[in-house]
Amino acid sequence: MNIIKKYIPLTIVFIFGIITLASYYVPHRASDEYLEWINKWENIVSAFALFLGMISLFYSHYKKIQRKVDGWGYSLFVYIGFFIIMGAAILSKGNISKEGKLTYLGWSFNNIFNPLSATMFSVLAFFIISTAYRSFKIKSFAAFLLFICGLILMLGNIPLGEIIWDKVFGWTKLTIGEIKDWIISVPSTAGRRGIMIGIAIGAAVTSLKIIFGIERGYMGKE
Amino acid sequence: MNRKFLLASVIILSLGIDAFSNKSKDSIKQNIEKIELKNLSVVDYPSDKGNSIILYFDKDEKQKNFQYEIYLSTDSANWIKAKQAKYDELSASNIEIPFWMWNKKRNINALAIDVTKVFSLQEDDYFKQNPKGFSVYAKVIAIGDNKKYESQIVKGIAKANWFRIDRLNNLVLVLIISIVFFIIVSRAKKRELFIRKIAGLEAIDEAVGRATEMGKPVVYIPGIGSMSGISTIASIFILGEVGKKIAQYDATLKVPHYDPIVFTVAKETVKQSYIEAGRPDSYREDINVYITTDQFAYAAAVDGIITREKPAACFYMGYFMAESLLLAEVGAGVGAIQIAGTDVDSQLPFFFTACDYTLIGEELYAAGAYLSKEPMLVSALKVQDFGKFLFITFAIGFSILLLIFSKIETSYAEKLLDIFRVR
Repeated sequence: MNIIKKYIPLTIVFIFGIITLASYYVPHRASDEYLEWINKWENIVSAFALFLGMISLFYSHYKKIQRKVDGWGYSLFVYIGFFIIMGAAILSKGNISKEGKLTYLGWSFNNIFNPLSATMFSVLAFFIISTAYRSFKIKSFAAFLLFICGLILMLGNIPLGEIIWDKVFGWTKLTIGEIKDWIISVPSTAGRRGIMIGIAIGAAVTSLKIIFGIERGYMGKE
Repeated sequence: MNRKFLLASVIILSLGIDAFSNKSKDSIKQNIEKIELKNLSVVDYPSDKGNSIILYFDKDEKQKNFQYEIYLSTDSANWIKAKQAKYDELSASNIEIPFWMWNKKRNINALAIDVTKVFSLQEDDYFKQNPKGFSVYAKVIAIGDNKKYESQIVKGIAKANWFRIDRLNNLVLVLIISIVFFIIVSRAKKRELFIRKIAGLEAIDEAVGRATEMGKPVVYIPGIGSMSGISTIASIFILGEVGKKIAQYDATLKVPHYDPIVFTVAKETVKQSYIEAGRPDSYREDINVYITTDQFAYAAAVDGIITREKPAACFYMGYFMAESLLLAEVGAGVGAIQIAGTDVDSQLPFFFTACDYTLIGEELYAAGAYLSKEPMLVSALKVQDFGKFLFITFAIGFSILLLIFSKIETSYAEKLLDIFRVR
């Protein structure tokens, strides 16, 4: 049992990890073909996993309806939405449009799915405002610095900000645009690069841990 | 009648133009003189998959005002113009190869040419039809002093290479880190290593305890990354530890998923955590729920779960994009204690503002070692520290060297930069 659950997966990870790492240094066509082959396998595994996922989704919502838990009515919409779109896809033979006209599937994408996605994305704008309001509360010196930088960036991005700056701080001979660019290109970039270097090294070490079987979290637990 | 006249006129006119153009071609042919370009050569472009060549020849000061037309052919009979360039535009420094493969200071005209583009070949067919390389003839027509000079014809082969020598710098760095990794990991059990406290991970107990006291669930979101992402792998490890604590406290866990493969792996991990905690009876199949593989639909569904179930704690660990704030802000709205961790630097500010604790990039990778306290994993953190030390030393040392070289000899500075260039 240990062989099936532990050693075989670890061997597979080691072999494919080393080959994939080596493929980064091999420009030959064989290297590209190997990566394409791996991608195909990933897609096949994904298809099976998706099937399991759908079973889980239907099972959990079926249980909610069965137990009549709070908001069980929403679970009905999972089934309704799924079967309507699946019906539309079958009728449209998987095509979005035919002879320049939208099929049922195309229509449902254009008129249901896309507006809903766009709505969710739009909500982000309101969340950014409420988050900004919360983060701009000056509780410490660091928060004060954040507020000042945020204010300069906001002023620097709008024409009105430039006018206000020129009226109040025109005597400094510095434009708000210059200060904004400096904040983005010097302290902000320096901070980001520090994080990026840490992430890159962390990713390299974690990859080694996975390839050599030291980190086994992805296998479940022993 | 008029139409016939018009048609006849067009035919006569076109014949006339054709005759004239042939005549002009003949006159150009007659005017072309032969020239011997010194060291004209075609060589394979090193470290590529076999679709490029480099054409070069010695610079001649007398041709400073010349223009060059480079022609390629597969049979030395039918020629295709690959490039037209001025004298200054063809130089060794234009070839984007590091100094350990190509001398950029050589006084030559050089040009890298992708033969698949010149001959309009499909990449797949090209590689299938030419497994041993693609033979190509080249010649140069130099235009200057109101004359045209045709060079000798040279032949070269574009071949597929087996090693990217231009990535040698990267390989050396990987080897150094690997050697240090093995040395440190092999000594792992000999002495205990100190790890600084990570507030976000220390707060896991507090978050789970709060959920238990309030009788509310804990929502764990593993992000929208695939199982091949390192942040997702790190997230699964943290999920295992969080799951164990939740099982011990007998709290409720909810894990909504974006990726079906992550879902199946997480299911196994959580099940195992409940077994390890000695509470297999508390494990339910609906702890892990697959939602959808659409970013905003997933965000909407998880927002719905958080709004309805009002969890006491929310964990956001893994790879996140625009949905990070959509999720974290809703979590903050219901008053949940929130712990986030991601290696996507563009999403970190959103987590900083909306969450109580945030693990930054490498802290997320370190979480597994930190929580498990396993000596081998903990020792690997030392390798990360070594890597950072190496980078800081390089950054300071090479910046000083760069400043010195830029004043003394700029080519040394360029070589120094070449060492750190990512290709």
